[in-house]
Amino acid sequence: MTEYFGATVADIFNTMPERFKPEEAKDVDIVIGYEATGEGGGKWTATIKHGTLKVEKVEELKGCKTTIHADAEIFVGVTLGKITAIDALTSQKLRVVGDARLLMTLLPKIFVPFTVTPRKKAVSARAILATVESRFRPEKAEGVTMNIGYDLTGENGGQWTLMIKDGRCTVREGFAEDLAVKLIMDADVYAGMMLGTIDGASAFTSGQVRIEGDMMAAAATTKFFHKYVDPNAAEAEELICLRVTNSIDQRFASGPVMGRWFAGLKEKKFMANKCPECGRTQIPPREICAICRVRVHEFVELGPKGTVTNFDIVYFASPDPLTGAVRDTPYTPIYVVLDGASEQDAFAFELKKEDIDRIKVGAKVRPVWADKPTGSFRDVLYFELDR
Amino acid sequence: MKKHKKNRNVAIIGIGQTSLSSHKEDQNQVEMVQEAVINALQDAHLTIDDIDCIVHGNMELFEMQFAPDLWHSLGTGAYGKDEYRITTGGTTGMTLVCAADNLVASGLYDTVLAIGLEKLQEGNTTGGITNMADPLWFRNLQTGALTGTTAAEMISEFGEERAKRAAMKYRIMMDKHAVLNPRAHRRFGLEYEQAEDLMANSPQLVGELRLIHMCSQSDGACAMIFTSEKKAGKGTGKPPVWIRDHIQGHREETIPNLFGAVKPEMTHHYCARKLYERNGITDPVAYFDVFEMYDPSAWWAMDWLREFFLLKGDEHIKMLERGDFDLDGKIPINPSGGVIASNPIGATAMLRPAEAALQIRGDAGPHQIKKEVRHALASGFGGTFWTALMILEKDLNW
Amino acid sequence: MTCKHEDTRNCFVLEGKMALPNQYFAGRLGSKFIIALRDKKKIMGVRCQKCNKTFIPPREYCEQCWSKIAENWVDLGSEGELVNFTVIRYNDKHLPKKAPYILGQIKLTGADTPLTHVIQGIDPKDVHVGMKVKAVFAEKTTNTIMDLDHFEPV
Repeated sequence: MTEYFGATVADIFNTMPERFKPEEAKDVDIVIGYEATGEGGGKWTATIKHGTLKVEKVEELKGCKTTIHADAEIFVGVTLGKITAIDALTSQKLRVVGDARLLMTLLPKIFVPFTVTPRKKAVSARAILATVESRFRPEKAEGVTMNIGYDLTGENGGQWTLMIKDGRCTVREGFAEDLAVKLIMDADVYAGMMLGTIDGASAFTSGQVRIEGDMMAAAATTKFFHKYVDPNAAEAEELICLRVTNSIDQRFASGPVMGRWFAGLKEKKFMANKCPECGRTQIPPREICAICRVRVHEFVELGPKGTVTNFDIVYFASPDPLTGAVRDTPYTPIYVVLDGASEQDAFAFELKKEDIDRIKVGAKVRPVWADKPTGSFRDVLYFELDR
Repeated sequence: MKKHKKNRNVAIIGIGQTSLSSHKEDQNQVEMVQEAVINALQDAHLTIDDIDCIVHGNMELFEMQFAPDLWHSLGTGAYGKDEYRITTGGTTGMTLVCAADNLVASGLYDTVLAIGLEKLQEGNTTGGITNMADPLWFRNLQTGALTGTTAAEMISEFGEERAKRAAMKYRIMMDKHAVLNPRAHRRFGLEYEQAEDLMANSPQLVGELRLIHMCSQSDGACAMIFTSEKKAGKGTGKPPVWIRDHIQGHREETIPNLFGAVKPEMTHHYCARKLYERNGITDPVAYFDVFEMYDPSAWWAMDWLREFFLLKGDEHIKMLERGDFDLDGKIPINPSGGVIASNPIGATAMLRPAEAALQIRGDAGPHQIKKEVRHALASGFGGTFWTALMILEKDLNW
Repeated sequence: MTCKHEDTRNCFVLEGKMALPNQYFAGRLGSKFIIALRDKKKIMGVRCQKCNKTFIPPREYCEQCWSKIAENWVDLGSEGELVNFTVIRYNDKHLPKKAPYILGQIKLTGADTPLTHVIQGIDPKDVHVGMKVKAVFAEKTTNTIMDLDHFEPV
């Protein structure tokens, strides 16, 4: 199959089941279709239902809530992060029919990202064992006398003993008489573990590594040696990135003017204030008239109804920086000149979801209050069309 | 009426940029800043010792980093020198240029280095913008920086078909310019034939504002060096570009007041009107040879062209349809690809006068305008409809 | 004009949170420095041949002559002299150790700039400028400067 960036399109789908995180998909019920065109392409569906995943290669994309389409090369590139998803989406090289936000919200949540292990120059077990003596840390092995045997099977295998005594470590081919422990594995598994491409604990659990003798001794050996560093690693440069999520606690003083505003909301009233010089209203009220720069003391009640002068239908909501939560879309902020307000003084709030299809500039709206207002932002639920 | 009389004229003698991308994991912020500074110094044939003062700017809440200028001092060369930190939202880059202009014009410093930067990959833009709104009331309403009301107004005024086509033509034109600019961030290779497809299929963000219309989010830095009339002539590398005048306008009111039954004068219009008036420019379209405009989205760009050029009716759309804004047109707009192609926020508004200056010098690169450029206009834009506008000249002709 | 006569009946205070998610890229040099600490237990600086100065933490350009020094890595060993110190006597979740702890500036052998780090293994009242210290590396690494856990008296 044709490879792009070191992987095939099929690799992405073949690895989907092992990359799936069922605990993140408990409330998910969706069928997503994928179409990669061109050489190495194909069609697949991913059916995710209440924590289970079924991936199938198909002839036709049927019954999918959302489908994702791209040329095979773009497909692999975006999945691997070699091509920026947002750029591909903007230039339409990557097309989504349905909810495009899935790419950024759902998919990263329920799948571990697909990666390709870089093809490094193979380092043999023998070469690694040759560095053991130089990596020994005598300060960590004070008072320790131990022989550790390595029985490496397979093509590049062999038998070695690491002899630790009197603050020194010597490596000998073959097994010594009194081995405290013997580790048995394929030579390539040993190399993989030393290079970090194979996780030691998983290798042991899956039976790839067998231990004869004192298991605790085997576990202790790692701390006697500095980590092995692949000399060829200069090619694949590691770039460090630190991720931090801080948040600062804050306290905001309302002051008497905003305080009056919230007190008004508690009584289901919109309390604006009115400039003594130019007579314009300001909602929410502010200490000073922005045009005349004089202090404003007179409060006036506006509305409750008003006329819509402008509105936005928002399809894309930015995720909350702390929680990652995304608002339900579409939602509609409306700009309302309330009855009694100056003509340029619009009040922004949200429109009732059910009225989104019928909203027009010039429409009359009225507020819908919470049952028990407490003097907070949530006292007004939304505005609705006044019919 | 305030007189804008300078003690002495100010020239731009050095311009340096980094590449703009969204993959700068191999550089930390200091190194990125230093790359731009070194480029600017080389361009001006100066060393860091020739600089008297540094002006540094970015939107710190976008990287979530307090006082980054202190940390960057290794890269800016500010150690042992006077330094000013400026942060004015999206207009930061332009404000840095205005401040540098004022500092040199006043006589306080002879040679000033200004640096604007942003490393959005290291921060969170939405978080930054949300934290701008007053926490008691507006923060709950914040939707970030997006609105589709301009698109709706244009559709209502000019008809759906014509308005949408205009916005899309503008967008594709910007991409064509970006493709020529080796330093631009996003270059898609769009063709005018794709307009219909994009108009119908680009995902909608807010109303008719679609993903394709929106500006980029980039990492990068820009540095510029300013000096006095006396020093500009002597032995520096490239011909100086003169800053003739600049103006800033800001609405202190809350944004909803822009959407009332009566619309107030836009800051773009106000700034353009005042700037042209006090410089005796009666026909801006005829006077200027290029306009590097801060265009956060294709819709706003079209709307603001009418404001900046003090046009009426559908004159701006007619100009677009006639090709007046193309690279070889009457008044080319954003030969660099504009903000839609590259947007390293703290540097973006500085890139506008930087690119305009490069056009005047004649060494912008493949996106250089063929006709001689003598008079350039550059604009900056920020959050609360803050506008910055600047006139650059090839010769001291005023 | 003050608010002394304002009606404060309606005033209240809102408790909130400001979110600050961010990332830090160490860059090529920074990464090399941290990786050397983490994997090889080595402290590396960079040297400017022209100015005859060795800098730590490493930086791309010499801060005095602005020539590029990014390739001139120097192993600074793990011992040095304490040139300055202070004692931190309060606790905060962002601090690396529990109070009281000593924060010092260590001039490693061969370096011209001091490295700021934690000093442990000595009572705050006994710390003095000029004492010799050596580096102790961390068991559990975090890809930060704390991969070098602290310095202690030789």
